[in-house]
Amino acid sequence: MDNFDPYKDLLGLDLPPERLKEVLAAYGDILRDIRKLRELDLTDRHPAIVFEPTAPYRKGPKT
Amino acid sequence: MTPELWARPIETLAPAIRAGKLSPVALTEASLERIEAIDGKLMSFIHVSRHALESARAAEREIKQGKWRGPLHGIPIAVKDNYLTQDMPTTVGSTAPGLSFAMRDSAAAARLRKAGAVLIGKTRTHEFAWGNVTPPVRNPWDLTRVPSGSSGGSGAAVAGGLCAAALGSDTGGSIRMPASACGTVGLKATFGRVSRDGVVPHSWSLDHAGPLTRTVADAAHMLQVLAGYDPADPACQDQPVPAYGKALGRPVKGMTIGVCRNHFFDDLQDDVARAVEQAIDDLARSGAQIRDLHIPLLEHGLGAIFAIELSSSTAYHDESLRAGRVQHYQPDVRMLVEVGRLVTGPDYLKAEQYRSALMDEYRKVLEAVDVVIGPTTPITAWKRGEWTVDVAGRAESVLAASWRFTYPYNLTGLPALSVPCGFDRDGLPIGLQIAGRPFDESAVLRVAHAYERSHEWKDRWPAL
Repeated sequence: MDNFDPYKDLLGLDLPPERLKEVLAAYGDILRDIRKLRELDLTDRHPAIVFEPTAPYRKGPKT
Repeated sequence: MTPELWARPIETLAPAIRAGKLSPVALTEASLERIEAIDGKLMSFIHVSRHALESARAAEREIKQGKWRGPLHGIPIAVKDNYLTQDMPTTVGSTAPGLSFAMRDSAAAARLRKAGAVLIGKTRTHEFAWGNVTPPVRNPWDLTRVPSGSSGGSGAAVAGGLCAAALGSDTGGSIRMPASACGTVGLKATFGRVSRDGVVPHSWSLDHAGPLTRTVADAAHMLQVLAGYDPADPACQDQPVPAYGKALGRPVKGMTIGVCRNHFFDDLQDDVARAVEQAIDDLARSGAQIRDLHIPLLEHGLGAIFAIELSSSTAYHDESLRAGRVQHYQPDVRMLVEVGRLVTGPDYLKAEQYRSALMDEYRKVLEAVDVVIGPTTPITAWKRGEWTVDVAGRAESVLAASWRFTYPYNLTGLPALSVPCGFDRDGLPIGLQIAGRPFDESAVLRVAHAYERSHEWKDRWPAL
């Protein structure tokens, strides 16, 4: 792939280089905490978000 | 407006209105006069309703005919500017071009109207409820300081006596942080207890709707009206709504109160620590059993809420991001929306896995205690324009510090309330946070009310 831009093409972040640098710097502090989250072994843990196929059928109170 | 009138909570206004001793029109006029007189300093309202007096007159007519709807009938209540309203514009604190929001009532606004409340105006929010400063709003206790946010307009308006109560929204602490900073009560009920239909989304699985009030009893009155199933909010749960008033006036004797000694007592200002420890002692003296506990998993929470909040917010603003509209957002909000693009899918889902684990940890804790208490925030209101604060001898960004103790209850969805528990050496309010089991807001209100009744913090007013 010629002229492949990982930020634009992978992450959808189409920014001028100077602005991109600022955004990456701001993400640096946050990334430190996300890395800490990555250290946890949560292999057997189901995420808190649960898909609910009946959601579109919710119309009113049950009672 | 007499000081007695603007300083009175709903719990004393409502019986007077019901008995015909207080006119909703006079009360609304007084509130409008107070806004006119004071809000040039506070900047808490972005819009004052042209229909408020008309609503007050309608309430007065009904009450005279014996059709009293309940404690909010004829009471002036403000609405945060991220709730849709049919008769007032919604901006979500943004002046970016190309944005428009429907002129219809959010579920919460509709419920308040049905209860007879007078919707007096819209209070300022940090842009898109994505921040903790709420410019240009000022803290009533010190106009050089922020009211916190994102419901900073609601916090300042209630604390300044400009309205009897206000709606706020809370994604990482945005009801409880301004409540703490401004010296009001702020209640974030259980996720799913109050419909968010018509609240402009920030982060779908973290957003909560709820009230800021002068007293705990007023929070109970507000929740009574706001709580209940609404199929229009996919997260809203069809759970029974108890009579919250029954939780009030009951002693804490016999209750077990947990104090999470890790995380919630790490790095906080001395005066905050002192006030909260005193509150814990006071509750113990009132007969509650205090149990210290630890939740080590909290150490990993900040990365989780960042991953969820950033990616959710950026998903919501994706169209604006692609269209280049975010360049018209405020710089801090634009930065967060752009940064959200860097959070990966696996990081987001790992955060949701973490959240599930944390909920389990809290479930175990709440099998042994009725509520968990601690400071609402580690810091009191900071100076406008300051981005770092001194916390326990080290500089910390206000963004990181202010929500450290509130976001765990957005991750877990548990009910949590902030009640004033003192003032720091600069005369700034300090908040005590009380959290409980899912859908057990009654226990939270019971402890908060018992604490509030034995102190005089609610009787202090800022000099405006």
